[in-house]
Amino acid sequence: MARIAPSVLRRYLFGGQLPAGGCLRQPRYCRSAAPSLSTKRYHGTQAPDTSTDSALSETTIPFRKQLKDEAKKRKAEGTGKKSKQNNQKLENWELTVGIEIHAQLNTERKLFSAASSSINDVPNSHVAFFDVAMPGSQPIFQKETLIPALRAALALNCEIQKTSRFDRKHYFHWDQPAGYQITQYYEPFARDGYITLYAHDGIAAEDGDEVRIGIKQIQMEQDTAKTISQPGDIHLLDFNRVGLPLIEIITLPQIHHPSTAAALVRKIQIILNAVDACVLGMQSGGLRADVNVSVRRRNSSSSSPNSYGGVTNLGQRTEIKNLSSFKAVEDAIIAERDRQIDLLEAGGVIEGETRGWTIGSTETKRLRGKEGEVDYRYMPDPDLAPVVIGDDLVSHLKNTLGILPDQDINILVEDYGLTTKDAMSLLSLNDGGTAEYFRNVVEEYLFLSPEEDLEKVGKLCGNWVLHEMGGLTHDLADEENPLKMTSSGSCLIPASELAQLLHYLSTDKITGRTAKKVLAELFASGLYTRGHTTNSVIYREGWWFTPLSELEYEGLAKEVLDANGKVVDEILAGKQGKVNFLVGQMMRGDQDGRVDASKARERVMKLIDALKG
Amino acid sequence: MSGFICSRCRASLQRVMHNQKRSINRSVREYSTKPRRANLIDINALLSKSTWSVRSLLPDPNAPPSEEITPAKLHHLLRLSALPLPTSPKEEAEMLKTLHSQLHFVKDIQKVDTEGVEPLQSIRDETEEGVKDITIGMEELKEAFEKEEIEGRNRRPRRRRVEVVDTNEVEDWDVLGTAGEKVELAGGQYFVVRSGKE
Repeated sequence: MARIAPSVLRRYLFGGQLPAGGCLRQPRYCRSAAPSLSTKRYHGTQAPDTSTDSALSETTIPFRKQLKDEAKKRKAEGTGKKSKQNNQKLENWELTVGIEIHAQLNTERKLFSAASSSINDVPNSHVAFFDVAMPGSQPIFQKETLIPALRAALALNCEIQKTSRFDRKHYFHWDQPAGYQITQYYEPFARDGYITLYAHDGIAAEDGDEVRIGIKQIQMEQDTAKTISQPGDIHLLDFNRVGLPLIEIITLPQIHHPSTAAALVRKIQIILNAVDACVLGMQSGGLRADVNVSVRRRNSSSSSPNSYGGVTNLGQRTEIKNLSSFKAVEDAIIAERDRQIDLLEAGGVIEGETRGWTIGSTETKRLRGKEGEVDYRYMPDPDLAPVVIGDDLVSHLKNTLGILPDQDINILVEDYGLTTKDAMSLLSLNDGGTAEYFRNVVEEYLFLSPEEDLEKVGKLCGNWVLHEMGGLTHDLADEENPLKMTSSGSCLIPASELAQLLHYLSTDKITGRTAKKVLAELFASGLYTRGHTTNSVIYREGWWFTPLSELEYEGLAKEVLDANGKVVDEILAGKQGKVNFLVGQMMRGDQDGRVDASKARERVMKLIDALKG
Repeated sequence: MSGFICSRCRASLQRVMHNQKRSINRSVREYSTKPRRANLIDINALLSKSTWSVRSLLPDPNAPPSEEITPAKLHHLLRLSALPLPTSPKEEAEMLKTLHSQLHFVKDIQKVDTEGVEPLQSIRDETEEGVKDITIGMEELKEAFEKEEIEGRNRRPRRRRVEVVDTNEVEDWDVLGTAGEKVELAGGQYFVVRSGKE
């Protein structure tokens, strides 16, 4: 999800100008100018919104208030009535959801041919004989595809099966030349895993602090060709994608709330990306989810024959396909649950059918009924040898997975003193690059001042990297990534310079306000590649903090007292509280933040006493 | 004792030896290859009568075909196999008859007791050596691991992306030459498929 640059927002809200980039995505910027409640949950993808708020709050306070009021209003009218209804229903009915995720593996070649894997390349340019089922062609298992597959299975805590086999799943479709898909139905390569979801992943409140969803199995299978449908029932086929390796992750039906389902899909995407198993996300079509939904009455004594993966007594399930975003997953589950409950309460019977969901609709649509249910006639593929995975390979991959996202968050929260929300925001930006940058800055800072407490330093640097730097904007800068942060943690402002700046700030060599100005200068310097350093900027502008001299305090205090004679009289009459007002006036007059509040108060008291006497 | 055997012992010994000789002669005679006249088998007569015919695996042509394959089921099976539906009731009856006889044959095969026998999927070397040969371990994936880099403090491995992958000429052939209908657009060439009813 793109970040909205404050300049764009400013131009729209105050000038009514839409960005003239000319590309389709612009309307989305404007529509989401006032963040809705749901954005609060998706820390990773929506985090930049909070930085926009804070950046603008300095320039125009009423705007922030305006956003808050709008959000409150929307909450009051939007979900109020519905949530009451929902609560009633949910007291009687329990929802059960199982999810099947198909994710494209990050490999050099396809699964059963040596053709190279590609994304959006020239159509039909990476096709081997076997991919289009040329008579006489044979599958040749590309063993390198095992590496990302095994990593995915290990990251999801599965047990790797030493021997696994391939099966054929038969059905006819123009995007599958062979008439069958090669998958692993009977003997998948990984079984019995689990994934733990925490409150900060966005699970439903009813699920508490953490919930563990079991994974039944993970199997390798082929992808199908890409179809571009045109009007007139014409379909254009690009066979580059056919035969690409996919993994299918099948969860146990242990999910009971829609937001938990969406959180699971999101977290699986994050984990797969972290272990380099699947690097394309739902947005680019590299990860697809199919959802199975059923409901059953709570506290019911009757039993039903439906069960899956050891979970018994389930209601009849329907499958929802064509879900292309996390929000779609959540919305579709809610719509389907409500539909099923309404149908059952009216005395109807749920049919085991396949349904589809389009974004923006209120109900799922039936795609395929039971009569159209396809019999896949699974059979072991005799052309392919069993896959035997060596123990040395599994243990090597297990030991070199690297630090996974949950552990990453723990390190940032426990060692660096960040809040969970901030930690997640940091990690989600620029493919982990911002988090890397943050840690570099902390490292540099500790070079300058090794004695300081890591948590304090972490909090300071975290605040600046996330919020202050997040609010930087410039006409020349790219809107999506103004600081040009790379995934390895380098950007337009070198970590050492920021660390130096923050060190000066915390040792009171410069004031907070000045620090922000220096930051802007460093940003500009980076954009124009002038190569200025923190030191050179401060020296050049003369921004070193010089505290006010005694004389200057005297002068300022006298000014304030002279200007507020009435208040002085009130104080002399006995109202001591009004002293604060005078101190406040002194601070107001100070543009550079050079006035120290306690010193100012001292001065004022001295002068008042002199007047008394 | 200088080989002196009493007359009584000598007689019994002689009797035993005589019996043995007679039994040897008899058994030799039994194993002899020379056929006895009475047991001669007529090969031609033997081969002229069949003791088994594949017809035993066919259903009785006089008995009516069982009702377990309904026309609806037949149509479903044909649709699953992307085969054309029968065009006349006569054709349908023929198909049902053929299918019925094939199933009769299959039922016969199913009579074999396969309790505890794993179905054979394909003939492969299932010895320890054979399995070790096809095991995929670190050695087999050495090259792939060399194409990776460890990134960041998190020590996460990342596959290095290459501009052009060496595909061993697997992609060098005229893919669109096999297209029944094709079209060229801005991006490139595509296969064309039509889905509307004709």
